[in-house]
Amino acid sequence: MTVIKTENLVKVYNSKHLPVRAVNNVSLEIEEGEFTAIVGPSGSGKTTLLNIIGGLDKPTEGKVTIADTDITGLSDSKLIDFRLKNIGFVFQAYNLIPVLTARENVNFIMLLQGRSQREMNERAEELLTQVGLSDKMDVRPNKLSGGQQQRVAVARALASHPRFILADEPTANLDSQSAMNLLDIMWKLNQEENITLVFSTHDQRVIDRARRVVTLVDGSIAKDEVREPVVPAQ
Amino acid sequence: MKTWIKLAWRNIWRNKRRSFISIASVLFAVLFAIAADSFERGSYEMQIENMVMFSTGYIRIQDVLYEDEPSLDHMMMYDDALLDVLDGFSDRIEYTVPRIEGFALAASDRRTRGVMVMGIDPDQEDRFNGLSERLVSGSWLEPGDESVLLASGAADILGLDVGDTLVVIGQGFQGINSSGLYPVKGIVQLAVPDMNNNMVYMPLAAAQWFFGADDMVTSLIVMPDRPRNTERLAGDLQTALDDEWYAVLTWQDMMKDFLRAMEMDMAGNKMIILILYIVIGFGLFGTILTMMLERIREFAMMIAIGMKRYQLALVCLMESIFLSLIGVVAGVIITFPITFYFNRNPIPLGGEMADFMAEYGFEAVIPTSIDPVVFVSQAVAIFVIAFLIGLYPVYKVFRLQVIQKAK
Repeated sequence: MTVIKTENLVKVYNSKHLPVRAVNNVSLEIEEGEFTAIVGPSGSGKTTLLNIIGGLDKPTEGKVTIADTDITGLSDSKLIDFRLKNIGFVFQAYNLIPVLTARENVNFIMLLQGRSQREMNERAEELLTQVGLSDKMDVRPNKLSGGQQQRVAVARALASHPRFILADEPTANLDSQSAMNLLDIMWKLNQEENITLVFSTHDQRVIDRARRVVTLVDGSIAKDEVREPVVPAQ
Repeated sequence: MKTWIKLAWRNIWRNKRRSFISIASVLFAVLFAIAADSFERGSYEMQIENMVMFSTGYIRIQDVLYEDEPSLDHMMMYDDALLDVLDGFSDRIEYTVPRIEGFALAASDRRTRGVMVMGIDPDQEDRFNGLSERLVSGSWLEPGDESVLLASGAADILGLDVGDTLVVIGQGFQGINSSGLYPVKGIVQLAVPDMNNNMVYMPLAAAQWFFGADDMVTSLIVMPDRPRNTERLAGDLQTALDDEWYAVLTWQDMMKDFLRAMEMDMAGNKMIILILYIVIGFGLFGTILTMMLERIREFAMMIAIGMKRYQLALVCLMESIFLSLIGVVAGVIITFPITFYFNRNPIPLGGEMADFMAEYGFEAVIPTSIDPVVFVSQAVAIFVIAFLIGLYPVYKVFRLQVIQKAK
C-alpha cells in the first residue's frame, strides 16, 4: 500500500542572482514498511525532498500525500499536529533538548501528545532499553556519546508511535561502530514493527541496508532501484 | 504546564554566569529603586505625619470663610448643636480637638514680641500631639487654668521663666480689644524652630475669654477611628453639617500645595528610576536575545517534532519572567530589612540640610517607608518590563522558519 506519494514536486529557492531548482519534478511512491534511502551528491536535493515529505518545507509546485492526507494544503498549525501524530524525525545533529535527560527527551514527544505520566514513563523505558540505553535514562545529552545521543533521538522519534521515520543523514556524525548499532536498531524496527523508513544519506552502510534506493541528481530522480538489502548478522 | 515550567527553569541555568549577571542587574535595579522610593516616600510620610499630628489633623471642621481668610472674625460656633452632630458619628470618631488661634503681642518687662496664641483643650491636645512630653520645665495645663505654656524659644526671647507673668495684648472677635496677664505655668520645647519662637498655649476657656469669643473656636480637629477612613468620614460630616456655615476639610485639602510639590518631586525621582529600568531592560533584553539566538535551531527542531508554537513561546516568556522574578524577589528580600531598619532608625541629617529642613518645620531626619506599595510597585514595574522583553522571543518563535534551522 502506498503511504507516501509525491507528484511532480518542484522546489525553487530564489537566490539574489538566479533561482535554484533544488527539487525538480519529483514523483515518488513509497510503500508501507519500505526502507528507502535517498542518495545523491551534495546539493542534489536529498534534504530538501525529505523536508518536503516531512512537512517541514512547502514545495513550489506539486503535491505530497501522506497516509491519504494532502499535507501541502495544511496550515502551519495543522502540519505541526500532523507531524506529531504521524512522523518521527531523526536529525544529523541529533538535536536533543540539552536541558532534559534521555528519558525526558523521549517523554517530550508523548507530552506534546497529551499522554499520561505513567504511559510516558513506561514507553520511554521500553524504548531506551530497546536502543540499549537502559543505564543512561537519567543522563543529560552532554554526558552521552554521539552514538548514544543518536539512539536517544531514535527512541524519541519512535515514542509517538509514528507510521514513518524520516532521517536526514543520521549516521553522518557517528563513528563506525555507533553507525552500525544505529542501523541495526532501525533495521529491527523496520522488520518487527513495519515502520516506514526514509533516509537521506551518503553513507554506503545505510544504502546497503535499504531495500529501495532513490538517487537524485540536480533535484531529479536519476535512478530508482529496488534490491535485496544486506541483512545484519544476528 | 509543569514540564514547560521545568524546561524554562532549566533553560535559564544553561549559562549560569550569564543568568547570574542578569539577575544581579535586576536585583541592583530593584534595590536602588526601592531604596530611592522608600527614602523619598518615608521622608514625605514623616512630613505629612508631622503636619497632620501637629497642625492640620486628619479632618478639620471650620467656618466656610476661614480657609480663605484665617481670621478670628471667621470663627465657628462650638456649641451643643455641633456636638450633637458629632455625637452621631461617635463610633467613627476617635476624639476631637478644639482650637482657637489668633495673633497677639506678648510682653515681659523688657521685651515685646508677636506670638501665636493657641487656646487648647489640654487633655485632647496632649492626646493629639503629645505636647506634654515636650514640657522642659514647669507643669502641664489644667482646663480651668488662667495661665499659659510658653514655647522655649519665645521664653528665651522674652526672658521669661516658669512663674513669671506674661502680658498678652491683642484683638479679639469682631475687633474687640483683648488683654490679660498670665502666669507662665510651663515651658515646652517644640521641634519646629518657627513654632518654638512664637507659640503661647492657653486653656480653651481662657483663650475664648481673651478673644471675646464664648462658645467659639477657629477649628475643630476630628481624628477618625482609622486614618484610612478619613475621606469617607469627612464626606459624611460635611453632609450632616450645614455647608453654609461649616467646611469639612481633609488633610489633603489642607496641604494641597505641599502635596502638589511632593508629587512633582516624586515624578522627578520616577524619571530617574525609569531611566534605570530602561538600562536594566536593555541588559535583560541582551540576555534573552542571546538565549534565543543560540537556541534557534533547537526551537526549529522542537516545532519540527510537534511542539506548538504557542507552547514554545510560553516557555520563552517564562524564561524572561523567571530571570526577572528571581532578581525582583532577591532584591526585595535584601532591601526589606534595610528599609525596615532605617524606618525604625531614621538617618539624622546634619549641617545645612538639617537647617534647611528645620526652617521648613520638619524634623531633620530621613526615615524610610515600608509601605507595601514601595515594594509591590517595583516588582510590578520589573514584571511588566520582563513581560514586554519576553514578547520579543514570542514574536520570533511565531515567525521562525523551521526549515532553515532544523537540519
